Amino acid sequence: MFSRRAIIALATLLALCVIWQLATATFGLISPGRFPSPSDTWASLRQIWTRGYSNGTLLTHALHSIRLVAMGFVIAIITGVPLGLLMGWSRKAEAIINPVFLIIRPIPPLAWIPLAILWLGLGDAAKIMVIWFSAFVPSVINTFAGVRSIDKPIIEAARMLGTPRWRFVREVLVPASSPMMFTGLRLSLQASWTTLVAAELVGALYGLGRVLNAAQQDIYPGMILVGMISVAICGWGTTWLLSVAERRALGWNLAAQKGAA
Amino acid sequence: MASIRFDNVQKYFGQGPKAIRVLQDINLEVKDKEFVAIVGPSGCGKTTCLRLVAGFEQVNEGTVSVSGKTVTEPGPDRAVVFQQFALFPWKTVRENIDLGLRNKNAPSAERTERIARVLKLMNLESHADAFPHQLSGGMQQRVAIARAYVLDPEVLLMDEPFGALDAQTRVVMQEELVRLSRTIPRTVLFITHAVEEAVYLADRVAIMTRRPGRIKEVLDIKTVREAENWDRFQKIEDVMDLDSFVHLRTQIWKSLREEKDAHVV
Amino acid sequence: MDRELSVREQIAYGALGLVSLIGFWSLLSVTGLVPRQFLPAPWEMMERFIVLLSTKFAGFTLPQHLWSSFQRYAYGVLLAALIGIPLGLMMGWFRWLDDIVTPMFDGLRFIAPIAWVPFAALWFGTGIGGPIMIIFAGAFPPCLINAYRGAKFVEPRLIEAARMLGTGHFRMITEILLPASVPSIVSGLRVSAGLGWQSLVGAELIVASAGVGFMMVQAQGVVSTTTVMAGMLAIGLVGMLIDVLLRQGEAVIRRKRGLE
Repeated sequence: MFSRRAIIALATLLALCVIWQLATATFGLISPGRFPSPSDTWASLRQIWTRGYSNGTLLTHALHSIRLVAMGFVIAIITGVPLGLLMGWSRKAEAIINPVFLIIRPIPPLAWIPLAILWLGLGDAAKIMVIWFSAFVPSVINTFAGVRSIDKPIIEAARMLGTPRWRFVREVLVPASSPMMFTGLRLSLQASWTTLVAAELVGALYGLGRVLNAAQQDIYPGMILVGMISVAICGWGTTWLLSVAERRALGWNLAAQKGAA
Repeated sequence: MASIRFDNVQKYFGQGPKAIRVLQDINLEVKDKEFVAIVGPSGCGKTTCLRLVAGFEQVNEGTVSVSGKTVTEPGPDRAVVFQQFALFPWKTVRENIDLGLRNKNAPSAERTERIARVLKLMNLESHADAFPHQLSGGMQQRVAIARAYVLDPEVLLMDEPFGALDAQTRVVMQEELVRLSRTIPRTVLFITHAVEEAVYLADRVAIMTRRPGRIKEVLDIKTVREAENWDRFQKIEDVMDLDSFVHLRTQIWKSLREEKDAHVV
Repeated sequence: MDRELSVREQIAYGALGLVSLIGFWSLLSVTGLVPRQFLPAPWEMMERFIVLLSTKFAGFTLPQHLWSSFQRYAYGVLLAALIGIPLGLMMGWFRWLDDIVTPMFDGLRFIAPIAWVPFAALWFGTGIGGPIMIIFAGAFPPCLINAYRGAKFVEPRLIEAARMLGTGHFRMITEILLPASVPSIVSGLRVSAGLGWQSLVGAELIVASAGVGFMMVQAQGVVSTTTVMAGMLAIGLVGMLIDVLLRQGEAVIRRKRGLE
């Protein structure tokens, strides 16, 4: 019933928890000012869950962060995927846009944060802008690659069948590039979370990054840990949602790959 | 006394009701310094036989032993020559051959000497410091054979070693292998689906049935070869012209044909 | 799909795109549609960039800030490689190690490197340890994963041949798995280097007292947009340089192996 992997994973987890407890609370090898003990962490969790910390409960902060990520991510897809499709399809468009991309690409998304704050202040808008930016690039690049990776015969077959432009885009171009496109989406989501946390760390009123920042300034390690775990859970959760969508959209791809194997 | 022995070997893949029976009641002995070839239809399990002796697979029932010791793990006493050469692309020819000796902790002087000898034997002296991708297929397989020979193994296991080579290179290698086995006889288990190759090289040929593989019959080649003195010819095509050769080849073909026809419903 | 463009055409269209962008930017700035404070003209940014090459801002000149950043970056990536690559190779060979480490790794993977900043600040203050830790967190996963994949997906025949030759564990890892995984490892290093550079910027925005990220935060504080942009330009240039160099290195190695 339980695979060997699962058993070892559980055992390792248990062992780590034991070591954690021993090192912090029981033997005091690690001072509580540096890393929280399990009980510290639990206490922090209870506090932020019920009474709240730094202007909100855990739920408020988490939802706030998720909202921002979602908005930035969605805007990035809506702008990035069509651009990627365009660049993939039209070599002229690629030639025009490429240099701009080449210049912008090496600038890490996080480097836009000071500029975004200058332009849009410390509110949500600046964060969404930076999230958009960091999610935008992987979407474009991977969608572009997806289009370029389409087997030529498929495109020729569609043309032979006299497929009009928009139907072609909807029913041929997009599905055919979707495997790589989804890879891009996954990278975009990862980038979104990274950027969001960074942006909130720099300056925010709400959000998980805000929790982390406040906890650091208050020298409250238990809360820091709670914040980090929350970030991980939210990240994992949203990624899981994306993979569900991916499986539904790409069911045909998995089947085809299995057949070829 | 380097011998190989299959004792009532059974082998399946998978478990339970869906298990696929690959080998059934395999009983075979390769005597000291004997060259035995196994031929059979695709998927009959002949490669599996070799892999059992090599130690890459385990038997389900029965035993496989080399010189009386049951086989459990791979090792340099049962040197393998693979169809795809399996040379290490980042090592030179010399380094490829050296690895097995280093694993045996052989002293440096001895290693140098043994490598030099085997390079000469396989005509590889001028390529000793080249990388595999710089060599032709035939040369790469020579390196693989050299790597096996230098170990002075109990037995030599060859898994369709010439299968990846083009027809002409194949012929050259077959002639070389004959030359080698006559000068330095070894216990060899040789897997192939090319019947002529088997008849040309081997002392005995074992014919396998289709899956689940059993040994259908074993033909004695050596007696005929020595009686007809095939070795007086250097060229393979001259040997293959002989009536005695053709007769044996046809016998094996017929036997294999029965297996193929039994498959077609 | 339309036809392939000649080199001249590519350059022409490319120039068109670039010129349009700069033109649009200049227009926005010069006409005051966007306040000059927030969107300086392109030439003003370049001017500031050149000035910063020799003038101090927030304690150091731009090259000094860059060097400070680069040092932390190099240490972080080196540490990631020195730990990640051997660990990945061993995980690829010893199944039990894989079983223990992989679940831990999968759990930690979702924590963005940047989320370690608070602990880094707590443990290292604004010292050099903080950014190095963040960079390590960013650069470590690709090193580990690529070494692991490289080792796990070595052609089975090569492993069998090595086992047949009686190769022990240590030699198997150092002389078989490691060389076989070099293409994968080098590819991973390239990704590592990129992620490390990104993490560096993030780290410096928050926990540093020198470095380009720090410079940009200070500039934002005094609304010196030109400085912020100059910083971005510098970061972009260095990042591009690192990537180009590593790509070249990767190509050289692949050629040596006969993979191209």
